[in-house]
Amino acid sequence: MINVLSGIDSTASALDAERVRMDVISQNIANVNTTRGLDGKPYQRQEVVFENVLKAQQSSLDSNLVSGSSPEMVQIARIQKDNRPARMVYNPGSPDADAHGMVAMPDINIHEEMVDMIASSRSYEANLAVAKNAHSIAMQALSIGKH
Amino acid sequence: MDALSALKMMAGSQVGGVQNAVSATTATTTQAIPAIELQQLNTDVPVQATQAASSTSGAGFDNLLGNLVNEVSQKQTAASDTVSGLLSGKNVSLHQAMISMEEANISFQMMVEVRNKLLDSYQELMRMQV
Repeated sequence: MINVLSGIDSTASALDAERVRMDVISQNIANVNTTRGLDGKPYQRQEVVFENVLKAQQSSLDSNLVSGSSPEMVQIARIQKDNRPARMVYNPGSPDADAHGMVAMPDINIHEEMVDMIASSRSYEANLAVAKNAHSIAMQALSIGKH
Repeated sequence: MDALSALKMMAGSQVGGVQNAVSATTATTTQAIPAIELQQLNTDVPVQATQAASSTSGAGFDNLLGNLVNEVSQKQTAASDTVSGLLSGKNVSLHQAMISMEEANISFQMMVEVRNKLLDSYQELMRMQV
């Protein structure tokens, strides 16, 4: 397969990974007040773990072997639960309150999530800039020899 | 000597001249496929130019062009696949669709450029005074 946009593979994988990270962050923000998760306990904050993978593992015999190197891509290794203990809040009116009127709330700091979201969206932007740059390099190369 | 092999000789000399510039650009990008095609041309052409009188009618270059057209068509198909996957709610993200469309677009433009160059050199030959 001809490779017109070189370097776009790792960028595309990073864009994918950042989308998943953004999804997980939005899930955390949405569940900031969830006192009853699927297992009956309060919602546990989740976090993505990125890992590095070689493109050659996905397509072994490709044009990348010509240059002697294969691009390193990003992928989501796992989405893991944060093990912070629940935050106890006094709210005797809640249906999930215990005998002392305390409710276990998820320990999610909304500011932390917002900062994570900013970081994620900035690195999405950075990868988009790489894609734009690859595109403009290709267009400039195509214009070689034009008057 | 038929027109095609003459064209290939011309292409060979042009490619040789351009080779230095191309190697300079590939030093920065390391993956430029056009360089590979040019190298193939460069290794093909002198051999065939010396045997221009022989019966081979340039199957190598024909194959190269045919492969180029095939790959461009493959890229177009892949792009329309991802777009229809995105529109039908499959697990395709927006940037994947955009990137594959952009690849199809650029490779199509490259094919058009190659065709323009070929046609230009053909017309140059046809204008030649005998």
